[in-house]
Amino acid sequence: MSAVPAAAPPRPRATVPVGIVLLVLLPLILMPLAAVFVFAFRGGAAEFVRVLSSREAQFALRFSLLIAFATAAVNAVLGTYTAYVLSRYHFRGERPLGILVNLPVAIPTVVVGTSLLLLWGPIGLLGRFLEPLGIQPMFAPLGVLLAHLFVTFPYMLGAVKPVLDEIEGTYEEAAYTIGASRWQAFRWVILPALRGGLFTGALLTFAHSLGEFGATVLVSGNLRLRTQTAPLYIFAQFEAGNVAAANAVAAVLAALSFLIFFFLLRYTTRRGR
Amino acid sequence: MKPLHPRRRGLVPAIFLAALLAYAAWPWLPFSRAEATPPTIVFYGFSILAEVFQDGVFPAFQKVWAQEGGGRVEFASSFGGSGTVTNQLIMGVPAQVALLSLESDADRLADAGVIPHDSWKRLPNAGVVNLTPFVILVRPGNPLGIRDFEDLTKPGVRIVHPDPLTSGGANWAIVAEYGSGARGAPGGEKAGEAVLAGVWRNVVAQAASARAARTQFENGFGDALVTYEQEAIYDRGRGRLAADIVYPPRTILSEHTLAVVERNIRPRDRALVERFVRFLWSDEAQRIFVAYGFRSVRSELDRANPAFGTIEAPFRIADFGGWKRARPDIVERIWKDRVMKEIAPP
Repeated sequence: MSAVPAAAPPRPRATVPVGIVLLVLLPLILMPLAAVFVFAFRGGAAEFVRVLSSREAQFALRFSLLIAFATAAVNAVLGTYTAYVLSRYHFRGERPLGILVNLPVAIPTVVVGTSLLLLWGPIGLLGRFLEPLGIQPMFAPLGVLLAHLFVTFPYMLGAVKPVLDEIEGTYEEAAYTIGASRWQAFRWVILPALRGGLFTGALLTFAHSLGEFGATVLVSGNLRLRTQTAPLYIFAQFEAGNVAAANAVAAVLAALSFLIFFFLLRYTTRRGR
Repeated sequence: MKPLHPRRRGLVPAIFLAALLAYAAWPWLPFSRAEATPPTIVFYGFSILAEVFQDGVFPAFQKVWAQEGGGRVEFASSFGGSGTVTNQLIMGVPAQVALLSLESDADRLADAGVIPHDSWKRLPNAGVVNLTPFVILVRPGNPLGIRDFEDLTKPGVRIVHPDPLTSGGANWAIVAEYGSGARGAPGGEKAGEAVLAGVWRNVVAQAASARAARTQFENGFGDALVTYEQEAIYDRGRGRLAADIVYPPRTILSEHTLAVVERNIRPRDRALVERFVRFLWSDEAQRIFVAYGFRSVRSELDRANPAFGTIEAPFRIADFGGWKRARPDIVERIWKDRVMKEIAPP
């Protein structure tokens, strides 16, 4: 066997591997996605606008967006604080807690819904004491928010904690030596470094909340014009055989998610990490 | 693409998200709220009621209420399988009025303390708002030559059936299938059980509600669907039915029971809800039901809809001693304990 002189490897041609990837993804992802748009626009653009501008579709989209914004905002704060505590403090039970806060992604969302109902619902463990006071979180927007906060909690944590773990403690300590308080150190040293993680985590949380179904269907009561989110609307319309209405809203959700992930990708790849 | 200044990089997403937030929050912003929200009736119904209530009964009642000087009234509604709706009510959804597919769901509500026992019996017509017989939908031209429930037991017929756990319609269908056998042949209970076992051996898909089962069938799944006549003739009226309706000679007329959940009605809404409940039995509402394919509790109104088919020997749940006996006897003992065990794979 003659030794091949070590030359620069030829630049790999992309056509074949890209072709294979596309071929695999076509039936798995691309075609189902395309079907959403095909069925959304089958009746023409005018029909698309008509079904989309129905009062219920508009309510469902707006309600979903508001819940997603609220979920992202609350979990941005809660998740960042939890990540900070888990990253900076060392205490007994640190590991179990670290595992527990990540569990929501692994639990079936239906279980999340039922356990929230059994806790906060009118016949729930805590809910039965709230009910006489006129406080009823379930089957109301608050219940939907609670479910989404639970389901999306790990995303913020997952985006922020690795960054926090990476920031050298010395910068923070340097801040303390010149007399910074914990808050000042966090605000001026840690937070600027976290911006990318915060952005990523918030958008992931937002996107997941926009598409949440399993827990929402149980805790919302699925009331049209009150607690029906966009995914619930899609399901109800599809079950009722109104494929055009279901797919119009589905197309909007898909387009929104595409934009969100487009921003995410642009932001993360340009940070030059 | 030319590189953006780092500060400006986030500008496009920021503007986009701000616009999205503005769009979402628009109806709730203080200056865009035109007037105070009018009183709202919260209505839960079983799956096939969605269109008749949303497009028919609610708008009609809004007119009546305005004409009587009550002003504006809104409806918040939710539709699902009757069993699902019942479970939601037990879990405490704020429903004020619920129309259930079968009386035994009302019994379950009473058992759970949501409504008083037999409270619906004090409503007009013992709480039954409308009816519809159970029919069989087959592929166009009826290629398998199905005429009755007995024909569904033939090997190779693939049946789409709603799930009795969550669907009221499925419970009616079970009694229809059983009754077709038990009332048709001298064998009585044995013959009924044989039809049930034969039908359920051929069930290839179970959906959560009658509506969901119809969507499955519409999407090309199965050879036959057991469902409410209303579903079929409402679809046919809109030119959307890609199926033939088979009227079995012996089948059940389902009766749909109204539950009024007093504990969810605030005192100031009481008159409104009571008026709405009374409206459901008015000629106007009953005519709307007929127009959407339900049979009226006053059979003389049924003549207005020529789409109704004829059934040789219809029967009612009362013929089996009412749901209080039919549920334990037919659904629990015969269907669940015997038929489903018998046909379960070993």
